[in-house]
Amino acid sequence: MTPTIELDTLEVQLGGRTILHGLTGVLKSRAIGLLGPNGAGKSTLINTLLGFHVPSKGSARVLGFDSHTGGKALRSLVGYMPENDAFISKMSGVRFVRYMAEISGLPPEQAMERAHEAFVYVGLGEARYRPVGTYSLGMKQLAKLAQAIAHGPKVLILDEPTNGMDPPARKRLIELIREIREASDICLLLSSHLLRDVEETCDEVLILRNGKIASICNLVEERRANRKFLELETVGAEAAFTTALESIGCECAVFTSGRIKVVMPDSVEIREVFKVAADRGVQIRRMNHRRDSLEDIFLNAMEQTGVADGRL
Amino acid sequence: MAVYKRRYNSYAGSLTPQWSRFFVLTRFALADLFKSRFFVLLLILCMIPLLFAAGYIFVANNKTLQLLMQARPEVGSFFKVENDFFIVVMIVQAEAAFLLNCWVGPVLISGDLTNGALPLFLSRPFSRPDYVLGKLAVLGLLLSAVTWVPGLLLFGLQSSLAHNGWIWSHLWMIVPIVFCSLIWILALSLLSLAVSAWVKLRIVATGVTFIIFFVPAGLGEMFNHIMGTYWGALLNFSYMFRIILERGFRDPYRLLNRMSDGEIPVAAAWCSLIFVCLLALVILNVRLRARETVRG
Repeated sequence: MTPTIELDTLEVQLGGRTILHGLTGVLKSRAIGLLGPNGAGKSTLINTLLGFHVPSKGSARVLGFDSHTGGKALRSLVGYMPENDAFISKMSGVRFVRYMAEISGLPPEQAMERAHEAFVYVGLGEARYRPVGTYSLGMKQLAKLAQAIAHGPKVLILDEPTNGMDPPARKRLIELIREIREASDICLLLSSHLLRDVEETCDEVLILRNGKIASICNLVEERRANRKFLELETVGAEAAFTTALESIGCECAVFTSGRIKVVMPDSVEIREVFKVAADRGVQIRRMNHRRDSLEDIFLNAMEQTGVADGRL
Repeated sequence: MAVYKRRYNSYAGSLTPQWSRFFVLTRFALADLFKSRFFVLLLILCMIPLLFAAGYIFVANNKTLQLLMQARPEVGSFFKVENDFFIVVMIVQAEAAFLLNCWVGPVLISGDLTNGALPLFLSRPFSRPDYVLGKLAVLGLLLSAVTWVPGLLLFGLQSSLAHNGWIWSHLWMIVPIVFCSLIWILALSLLSLAVSAWVKLRIVATGVTFIIFFVPAGLGEMFNHIMGTYWGALLNFSYMFRIILERGFRDPYRLLNRMSDGEIPVAAAWCSLIFVCLLALVILNVRLRARETVRG
């Protein structure tokens, strides 16, 4: 399977300064989050993937297309929602989206049809005939999303999509993004300052700091690993209980007051732990999955690269 | 993504050819322009001199009408359709094209730049040359409609009315009608697009377009008077167009060359307009970027 994004010692210089320093990595998931403090190079990376910036060294590929040499072919697959204002203020919303869809190559009739559909889909159906310049900030964000999806792209690049949105609107937008991801085989690249946005929508995270890769983390695997790590509070647990758990393949660490930490192999399900407890007459009063949040992962990445505070 | 289903579907239908997509910009821009009554009025006004020219051709070829006007013999020779006539028509229409360009040009790119829409165009399979071509085609079509297209129609009208093989002896005039208009259209269009890419406010952009055409012309005249030369006229782009036009119509410096005593070679006039076009392209290349890079 072709990786979604491949970075091969990618270096980008802008205005005489090196912004991205030899990024190397392969991201295979369908939904990739881009995290990093301000000035880490997230937007520069997105712009480079879109072919707006030419790499001074190395290369970047999206779905196998080189961002520089295969720019047009790559951009024919992309729907892009920029971070900043990007609209034509005097055009009505639906006409604006139709215009963008036609530039992407849709025939006029299909472009018009999909513009209406996209507007209704993002929840702006009632406002589609108003000039985009009269929209609120949140509506403009949704209009940008509509123009990004109207032509049915294979890769959706969202740069800070929830910027300036109130919590309900943000929640709605995140739901939309998840729906889009689940309803099709679209690949998603989402850059956000909000860890929660990335955590709720992405499977893999690329963390940047000072133009370098601080970490690449597969959230799906991370979540699976977390699911297998249990913290138990028990009553009546004796050595026989931990021995029985070990006999089915678990690793155990026993602490005071009946607290036991258990690492389960992939083949063992939680109900087997309950079964062992029931057989030994042990009461399990509390069971927690240890859960590394994305925040933990992000802070760890920042610490490993020498940033103690890990400020966003 | 059907409206009633409210779910996302990717698009699997047909696509338009890549080469034709620049015309989407042209189509949308023209549709927006024709919503403006002022623009329609301006376009009609630009056509009015052509009606007079057509009337002139009709009278020139109608002896009965000339008799009815009780024309004196010298008036009869006044109604003559030769290269002088077409030079005057083309110069009048070139000025009309300039006015039209001053109204239309400034809004073409600035509207996209004001709210940062350029990344949306360039994140699609659509290049900067495509973008410029699309916008250039708007001006190209409009200015053609008031310059060489009616010029050819007038030529056709005269050919059909004159008989006696007039068309064959004057066929060469098609070349200057078309090519001289095209260089003027190209220079005007590129310059106003460059201004539109540089200045975001319409009124200011229109002002800057006027300034670019009239201030250098004035400075050139000052230079001529101070230095006692005629090369300052190179900054007068309208005059350069006239020189090219007159030479094209085999009327070298006779009819309209009253601006200076010296003679600007026609090659220098071509160079002046080509320089304007190149300068405009450099400005467009600098300004039309998906992302601005701050140096330092």
